[in-house]
This record gives sequence, C-alpha cells and structure tokens, in this order.
Amino acid sequence: MEHTFNRQTGVSHTPKRRLAALGRYLRLFFVFAKFSLMSQLEYRVNFAAGVLVETGWMLIKLLYVAVVYRAGINIGVLTPDHITLFIGTYVLMTGFYMLYYNNFTSISSLVQEGQLDMYLVKPVSSQFLVTLRRLDFSLLLPDFVAGIVMIAYGWRRAQLPSDWRSVTGFVILLLLSNLLTYSLFLLPNLLCFWFISTRGIADFTAALWDFNNMPQMIYGKWMQRIGTFILPVFVITNFPGLFLMGQLSGGLFVWSVAAPFLFFFLARLLWTRALKSYASASS
Amino acid sequence: MIKVEHLSKQFAYYKKGIGLQGSLHNLFRRETLTKDAVSDVSFSVEKGEIVGLLGPNGAGKTTTLKMLSGILYPTSGSATVDGFVPWERKNEFKRRFSIVMGQKNQLWWDLPASDSFYLNKCIFGVEDAAYRRTVEELSELLEVRELMHVQVRRLSLGERMKMEILAALIHRPDILFLDEPTIGLDILSQQKIRDFLHYYNEKEKTTVILTSHYMRDIEALCKRAVIISSGQLVYDGELAAINHLMGDKKLLTLKAAQPIAADRLVTFGKIREQNGTETVLEVPKESLKQTASAILASLPVEDFTVTEVPLEESIAHIFKKEVAGL
Repeated sequence: MEHTFNRQTGVSHTPKRRLAALGRYLRLFFVFAKFSLMSQLEYRVNFAAGVLVETGWMLIKLLYVAVVYRAGINIGVLTPDHITLFIGTYVLMTGFYMLYYNNFTSISSLVQEGQLDMYLVKPVSSQFLVTLRRLDFSLLLPDFVAGIVMIAYGWRRAQLPSDWRSVTGFVILLLLSNLLTYSLFLLPNLLCFWFISTRGIADFTAALWDFNNMPQMIYGKWMQRIGTFILPVFVITNFPGLFLMGQLSGGLFVWSVAAPFLFFFLARLLWTRALKSYASASS
Repeated sequence: MIKVEHLSKQFAYYKKGIGLQGSLHNLFRRETLTKDAVSDVSFSVEKGEIVGLLGPNGAGKTTTLKMLSGILYPTSGSATVDGFVPWERKNEFKRRFSIVMGQKNQLWWDLPASDSFYLNKCIFGVEDAAYRRTVEELSELLEVRELMHVQVRRLSLGERMKMEILAALIHRPDILFLDEPTIGLDILSQQKIRDFLHYYNEKEKTTVILTSHYMRDIEALCKRAVIISSGQLVYDGELAAINHLMGDKKLLTLKAAQPIAADRLVTFGKIREQNGTETVLEVPKESLKQTASAILASLPVEDFTVTEVPLEESIAHIFKKEVAGL
C-alpha cells in the first residue's frame, strides 16, 4: 500500500498509517529535543546566560503585574487577578515560542547560504526538519516555570472554575495556541525565499508578538478585530483565559479551533510554494 | 538507472553598478537578467557505474547534481533517477539516494558524529541490526572507529569528511551523488576516501556521479567522464579516450650529457619544456618508436622516459572547447 503515502510529508492517508507517521514524527521530535539539550549543555556558560537573559525579560513582564496590583487596575471585566492569568498565559506561550524561535530566524540564512539543500533530501517533511530541529531549553525554562505559577495564582485568586472540563478546555486551547503561534509566525519568515534577507519582517513579527503583553481589552474595538481575525495574535494568549471566564462566545470558540488549522494549512501551502522558488546558493 | 534528457536550468539575477550610486539605482529599478546554468544537457548512467562529472567552476556541475537529487526544479527538460522524477521529491526516492557535498554538512557540530548517524537512522527508518552493521563496517573501512565519540567540531577536515560520507550511507543508498568530496583534504585523506569509494562501489554496486577538481580522484574511480562547460555538455565518453581526442600524442623526456641546441631538437618533435640538459618533447604516438631510435642515434642522450599527455591538460582544452569537432 505504498501508494497511499503523501509525497511531501510521508504521512499516509489511512488512519493506521497516519498514526504510525505521527508516532515517527514524535519520536524524531524527542531525538531533536535530546540532541538540542546535549548540544546546549556543551556550552554551560552560554546556557546559563540564556536562562538569565530570558529571566530578565520575564521579570520585566512581572513588573506589569506588580503595577496592575499596586494601582488596582481593572480592564473592563478583568480584575488584577484575571490580568495575572492573561499575562501568565502570555509568558508561558512566549516560552513555547522561544523553544523553536531560533529555527525561524535561521531560515533566512539557510536560504542565503544554500544550507537548506541537506534538509530537502531527507524522507521526512523538510518543514518539520527546518523549523523544529533546534530547541532552546534555556529560553523555555524560566518562562515555563513563571508562566505556570502566574496562571495558577491568577486562576485561584480570581476563583475561576477548576473542574476537569475547564482544565481540559484550557489545556486544549493552549495546545491550539501553540499550533497558531507556530503557523502565524512562520508565514512572514518564509518570505525570505523570495526576498532572501527579511530582518525587517522579523522585527515586525517580534513587535506583533509583544502586543500580547497585556490583555486585548486594553486596545480599541478595531485593533481587537484585526488582532482576532486578520492577524490573530490575540487568539493565542487571550482566548484560553476568556474561555475560563465563560466569555468566549460560540462563534469565537469555533474560531479559536479553526484559526490554528487554517493558518497551519496556509503555512504548509506557502512552504511548498517557497521550496519551488528555492534557488540554492552556490556550492 | 539515471536518464537525463535536454535538462536546462536558468537563474534570474540582476546586475548592480559600482558603489552607493549603483545600490540606490537598484533600489528603484532592477534589470532582471537570466543565466543559463545548465543548457540542454543529456546523458545516462548505468547501474553500478561511476561517472565523473567534470567542468570548470561555474560550469553547471553542482546545479546538475542538485536537479538530479531534487533540490532544484529544472527550467525545462526531463530526468529520471531509478524510475523517479527527482524534483517530485517522493520519500521513496529520497530513501534510494544520497548526496555528499564537500562544502555543506549535515553533522551536528557540537555532538559526536555517532549521534548524527543515529538521527539519520531514525529519519530513514533503518532497522537496529542493519544500522549497527553499517556503522561498524564503514567506520572500520574509513578508519574512524576511534573517533566515533569525539565531537564533530574537534575533528580534522579529513576526519569530518569521512564522517559525512558515513552519515550519507547509513541507509545504504543505491545511488550516490558526490560533489567534490575531497575538496581541501590532504593527500592521505584523499587517497583513503578514493580507496573507500572504489571498494564500496565494487561491493555494493552503487551508482555514483562524482564531481571533483582533482584528476587523481577521477582517474582512480571513473572509467567514463561527462564534461560540461558553460552549462553545455561538451564530452561524454571513456576517460581513456580523451587523450585520443587530443590527437594521440606522447611526451618524451630526455636527459642529455650536455645542453642540446633547440634547432636540433625541433626536428624530432615540438619542444614543450627545456631546462638545461633536460627537455620534454611532444611527439605523435604512431611515430614514437622511429623518433626515439633516431634521437638515441644522433643526440648525446643519457636517459629518456615516455609518458602520456597529462589528463588535466586534455580536459582543460575540452573545457575551452578547443578540440576539433566539439
């Protein structure tokens, strides 16, 4: 039944084979994680510096929380406890994004120097190899710990429901947010296949990510609409919290599930297009 | 095994004038130009054959190999490798070939090469037993067994290249594309890699296309050469027949007791070099015997040797398309 295999991804069309392929990709992901950690631990000082720098960034975000509590700021229906939960979600998602972020920024140099060649000849998805092969645990570590603590703290203090349905829903939305982050922020980085150097675009996406520093309610109506439906960055860090608060209407709930898959599909499409324009730099 | 028909690849690029003025001009207006990297190239390779793909820098050798391995899409023409169209990039195809590029690497820099081998095992889905057997056998042959647990960044260039080759063979490919695998290596490492490739091809019947600027690699490994120059195929045939194309000449190196005047030597053949008592003469192959006896009879020669015209020289002429009929 070899003919049922998808040419690009190695994923088959029958459920059993699809599951087997998923298992293979997960195994590969763990090998990448292990090798990345092993590589990073080769340079102990650098690893420690990475943790320190990311902790510094994270502390700046904590300052926002401190200010919110000190001033007793409420944003619409959000109390300081809710805001802590939202910022905690943002910190946690930043950690996950930072885990593979360096792969995104290095796509441009892979294209520029022609190093992409070696990823195109392997019988697994080249997108998977290029975007998830190097994982940075020094950046994940502080954000992961602080994010979880802030979420738990805000959740408890705001007395939000903590039954299994709420927890499961929140975790699923976080997983979907990861898929959306990956897809949405991969898209602009793929433009380097056509324009080679895309530093300006990378800076723009970094700024876009920071829009989530605070809950979306601090922005005007139109900004919220653009950030939800056109460049759905707000979906990533606001929707899990809104779900817990029972503020996610039916339509928005559907969008929170649909947007990650829609943007993942777009990223796949652009990746395939991008490879067709790959010119491979001189040997 | 490999069939290439009228393969062409054009690259679009733009020119930039000198200095800031040129850059500013480019910002607003770019004139797109096209370069024919590969132009209407056709050839085929049989199973188990090693073919040398030769040509000067920028001739289109690497571009051809990249199209055959599916890295690049051609502008026009067709090619099949083991029944597959390379640029369709089917996973089944990717399991059957491997490409080694002397200037690009796949090993993880900070980890021992054995970890990268393991990663390739996972990527290609190689069985445990077959993987162990391959690593054991090839590391022995390439004499890198002791280096398996040394971080790649600590290896010498030669050792690293051997590891790159080993990594490329973990899944035992039927077809191997080698793009300057010995570039920058010392003579001993070059020799080792040549011997290894020779042995591996004999044993596994792997089909190989090799590009190299070192004629020793080509002479040691390839019976057949495909030569491209400025993107066009200029020669496809036996390596041994290349000198024939050049008019079948031999070189006679003479050592005399005292210097001999050039006007006396020129009657026997074309003088290529003259350095004191030593002279190199170019003579037609068919009259070699008569010329040699005439020289010995009439000149004070103490010693003489007969050699072929160096292959590099013949190939350089072909690169320049100086050979009649090409």
